[in-house]
Amino acid sequence: MMARNKRLLIFGVIVSAIFVMIGCVWLSSSAETLDMIAEHYGVSERPFWIPLVPGYELPGFEGNIIANMTIGITFTLLILGFTLLVGKALKAER
Amino acid sequence: MHIPDGFLDLSICAMMYLLVIPLWIFALRGMKRVLSDKQVPFMATLTAMFFAAQMMNYPIIGGTTAHLLGGPILAITLGPYAGLISMTIILLIQAFFFGDGGVITFGANAWNMGVVGVFVPYLMFLLFMKVMKNRNGMMVGAFLGALLGDVFAAIFAGLELGLSVFTFPYSVQIAITAMGVHHFFIGLGEGIVTAMIILFLLRQRADLLKLPRVAPLWLSSIGFEEL
Repeated sequence: MMARNKRLLIFGVIVSAIFVMIGCVWLSSSAETLDMIAEHYGVSERPFWIPLVPGYELPGFEGNIIANMTIGITFTLLILGFTLLVGKALKAER
Repeated sequence: MHIPDGFLDLSICAMMYLLVIPLWIFALRGMKRVLSDKQVPFMATLTAMFFAAQMMNYPIIGGTTAHLLGGPILAITLGPYAGLISMTIILLIQAFFFGDGGVITFGANAWNMGVVGVFVPYLMFLLFMKVMKNRNGMMVGAFLGALLGDVFAAIFAGLELGLSVFTFPYSVQIAITAMGVHHFFIGLGEGIVTAMIILFLLRQRADLLKLPRVAPLWLSSIGFEEL
């Protein structure tokens, strides 16, 4: 079962990395419905929090595909690790 | 569908936090009751994959783009409680590190995509499984669940925007119509992908679909046993 779990995690990392690459290279342009509606009606964003990586682009490396992919893959791995920890902490005790 | 800070009135933001906090508590308690060893790596894998999948923006109508939400797959495979926690983790990282969705509006986004976008597909999936009792029922339930999950999540987002009279000075009807119509097309894509992933899992890892789901107890009281 351990080997199967490991295979599942590796499969997830590979597929996620492919998604990040596709997202950074070909499908990076974002024009979400909500943003278009807000723009149309003149409603603007008022950020309360300054994020570390605004718009998924590292400050100073805007438009750099390699930097964007690195950020995407790094955070994917962080989420994988964090969710594993959350899941292990919350799993049923048997 | 990630609502940024500044789009909603503070009263609406506070109300959405009040609605979603009890559900986070129920979800965490529910997971502690059922989540198995086998589901933990599956949950982590799906959460990471749907974070990555949300980085892919595909074009839809009117020059807009859309991305997968992932809530339906998380709900169908892990149950709505683990699905809600997975979506919350994704939304939390997106809001705090990337500015994708606001911090003050985080409760609203968690409600729309984490609660509505997860519970509606799960209930639709259960309904079709109960009525059709076969593989086709699974596929139809997965497709319609994902479609309606997206549409209802968008309707809630439109409702929150429409009720925010100080920041979004347009009627509820305008906000709901605009969000609902666009997200119908996004939901079609989500529905097709969800049904395809369910079919893939049925063929390759059917064991993952037979794991016990962490679901609310009231579902069994109205005649829906856990899958």
